[in-house]
Amino acid sequence: MKAFLTVFLKELIMFFRSWGLVAVVLYSFTVDVYIAGKGFEVKPRNVSVGYVDFTDGVISGKILSHLHSPEFQEPVRFLSEEELKKALFNRNIMVGIVFDSDFEKDFFEKKAKLNVMLDATAAAQGYVTLAYLQNIVLRFGEENFPVELKTHKLFNQNSDTPKFLSLAEFLSILTLITVILSSVVFVKERESGTWDIMLLMPVNSKIIILAKSFSQIVVVMIGTIICVGIVLFGIFKLPMNGSFMAFLVLTLIYSFSISGIGLFIASVAKNMLQVAQLSVIIMMPIIFLSGSWTPIYSMHPVLQELSLLSPLRYYIEGCESLFFRGTSVFDLWIDFVALLVLGVALYMFGFRKIGKLF
Amino acid sequence: MIKINVVKAYLKKEFSELVRSKLIIMVYLMPSMVLILFGYGIKMEVYNVRTAIINYDKSQLSYRIISAFEHSRYFKTEVMNIPEKEALEMMKRAEIDLLIIIPENFEKNLLKGLKTEIGIFIDASFPFRGLTIQNYAEGVLLKEAQELSQKKLPIVVNHRNMFNQSMRDENAIVPGLLGIVFLVAPAILSALLIVREKERGTIFNFYSSPIRKIDFVIGKLTLPFLLHSVNIFIIFLWATYLFKVPFRGNFFIYWITSEIYVLISVSIGLLVSIVARTQIVAIVLTIIITVIPGFLYSGIIMPISSMKGEAAFEAHIFPVMYYNHIIYDAFLIGQGFSSEKNLFYFFVLISYWIFITVAGTLLLKKELR
Repeated sequence: MKAFLTVFLKELIMFFRSWGLVAVVLYSFTVDVYIAGKGFEVKPRNVSVGYVDFTDGVISGKILSHLHSPEFQEPVRFLSEEELKKALFNRNIMVGIVFDSDFEKDFFEKKAKLNVMLDATAAAQGYVTLAYLQNIVLRFGEENFPVELKTHKLFNQNSDTPKFLSLAEFLSILTLITVILSSVVFVKERESGTWDIMLLMPVNSKIIILAKSFSQIVVVMIGTIICVGIVLFGIFKLPMNGSFMAFLVLTLIYSFSISGIGLFIASVAKNMLQVAQLSVIIMMPIIFLSGSWTPIYSMHPVLQELSLLSPLRYYIEGCESLFFRGTSVFDLWIDFVALLVLGVALYMFGFRKIGKLF
Repeated sequence: MIKINVVKAYLKKEFSELVRSKLIIMVYLMPSMVLILFGYGIKMEVYNVRTAIINYDKSQLSYRIISAFEHSRYFKTEVMNIPEKEALEMMKRAEIDLLIIIPENFEKNLLKGLKTEIGIFIDASFPFRGLTIQNYAEGVLLKEAQELSQKKLPIVVNHRNMFNQSMRDENAIVPGLLGIVFLVAPAILSALLIVREKERGTIFNFYSSPIRKIDFVIGKLTLPFLLHSVNIFIIFLWATYLFKVPFRGNFFIYWITSEIYVLISVSIGLLVSIVARTQIVAIVLTIIITVIPGFLYSGIIMPISSMKGEAAFEAHIFPVMYYNHIIYDAFLIGQGFSSEKNLFYFFVLISYWIFITVAGTLLLKKELR
C-alpha cells in the first residue's frame, strides 16, 4: 500500500510540475469544449431562397411570407428562370422556387404545382427545407385537414445542438486525454530507461502499473469535474435528469477501461512519436463504432457486433441516458459491467506485456 | 537565381529522413483515413429506427398506416400492446427511438372529417438524429393521411434535387472533406520539417551556411508539396470509387486547383514554423489554425450563402471556402471555368498563395534571435 501511494504521488507531482501539460489539459477540458459547443449549428439557419414569379403574386406572396427568419433569409426575386438557375449553379442561393403563370388558375382547380429546385449539395439543409415547404403547403391548402400530428421530442425539446455537441466534445476529449496521458506515463519512463529500474524494485509490478495509471485517472477526473461543472452545467445549461453520482462512478470506470487502452499502446510503442500515431489509429475506430455519429442500429450487422468492443459505446449510452433521458442507474447496469469487463481484460494484457522485465 | 543543387540536396536529405523515421506512412495514411472515416461517419440519414406503434383503433385505416411503416426501410416497426407509460419508460431506457400512438375512433373520425390527433414521441437526446426521425415519420403519416382522407391538396410540391438527385450523404460530404484534408496534412508536414531542425538545433547549419533564404524555403517546401501531390490522386480515387461520388467537371481543373491549394497549405506550415519552436507546439498550432476553419467554413456544416456578418467575413479570410466552391463544382455541378465565379475564386487562390509565400519568406529569419 505504501508503495502504491509513493508511486501515485510521484506521478501526480510530475504531472503538475510540467505546467505545459497542465495547460493543455485545462485548455482541452474548458475552452475546446466551449468552442465545439458554440461553433457548430446543424439546424438550418438563414437558408437563402430565390424565386421567379410569373403570377399576379397573391398566392405566391402568401407562400413566400411563410419563409421567414431564423430558418430562411428574405427571398430574392429573379426575373427569369435562367437567372435563378445561374444563381443556384453558382451556389449563391440554396433553394429556387418557380411560380408558373398558370399557378393561380391551377390553384383554384386544385392541381397547382410548385416547382422547387434544391441545392442538394448541402443535404442536411435540403431535407429540412423540403419538409418545411411541404408543411407550409399542406397547412396552406386545407385549414380543416382532419389529421393533426402532435410531435413531442422527448429529452431535448428544441433539438438544442449546443447542449449535445458540448457533451459529445467532452466525451471525445476525455477519451483522448486519458489514452494519451496514461500511455505517456509509461513510455516516458521507457524512453529514459527508468522503467527497467522500476521493475527491478522489490515491489509487485502490478501495483506500480496500477498506481501509475490511477494517478492519471485522478487527473482526468479533476478535469471532468471542472469541465462538467463550469462548461457543461454553467455555460451550456445541460440538464441532469439522472443521478450525478452515477455519472461520476461511470466516468471513473470508463477512464479505468480507457487507460487500459493507454496501457496497451504503451506496451507496443517505443517512443512518443509512435504513441501519437498509435493512439490516433486505435482511437478512430473506437469513436467510429461508438454510435455517436452513425446510430448503432443503422450500422451493418457485423459492425454492430464489433461495436460491442468499443468502450465509448457504453459510456455514450450511459451519459446520454443520465443527462438527457433520466434513466435510473439500475437500468444502466449493463454499461457499468461491460466497461469493467473491458478494462479488466485490457489490464490483464498490459500486466503481462509491460509488467515483466524478461 | 535558385540554386538547383541546394534544393536537390535538401530534397534528398528530407526524403530519406522521412522514410527512415517512418513518417512517410503517416503522410499517406492520414489523409485517406480521415476521408474514409468522416465520409462514412458523418451520416444525416438514419436507417432501422426502432419504432413502436400503439394502436388503440384497430381499424383498417390504422393497419394501413402500420404497414406503411413496416414497409419502409427507415423504420423497424413493432406493434405493441402496452400502456403509453410503459412505452415511454422503454424510450427512457433507450430501447426504442420512436413511438407512434394511433387514438381510438381514428377511422371513424377521419371518415366523418372530424379532427383526430396522432401522437408522435421521439427520442431527441441526439438532436439531429431526432430531427431526421421526425421528418421521416411526419412524412409517412401525412402521406398516408392524405390518401386516406381522399382530399386533394391544391398545391403539390414538385421538387428537384439539383446536383445530388438521390440526396446521398456521401455526395454532399466527401467533396467538402477534401478542403480539410489538403489544408491540414501538408501544413503539418511542412511545419514539422522546419521546426524539427529548430528543436534539434540543426537549424544552425542553415543560419551559419551561405544558403540563401529562398533556397532554404524552396528546398524545405518542395517535398511536402510533391508528396501531397500524389495524395491528390489517391483521394480522388477514394472519392469516386469508394464513395461513388459522381465527377461531372473537368479533371484538369480539379487537379490544378488542388495543387495550388496544397501549395497554400504548405506555406501555412512555413508561417507556423516561424512562430513555433518545438514540434508539439507546431502540431497543435497548425491544427488549431487549420482544422477549425476547415470545418466551419467548408460549407459542410453550414452553407456559405447562409452565413451572415462576422461568420461570412471570417469565411472569406480562409482559403477553404474558395477551394471548396471549385471542388464542389468539379464533382457535382460541372460548370468549370465557364462560370465567372469559379474563375474568380481560382485567381483568388493563386494570389492567396503568392501572398502568404512571400510573407513567410520575408518573415523567416536567417539569424540567431
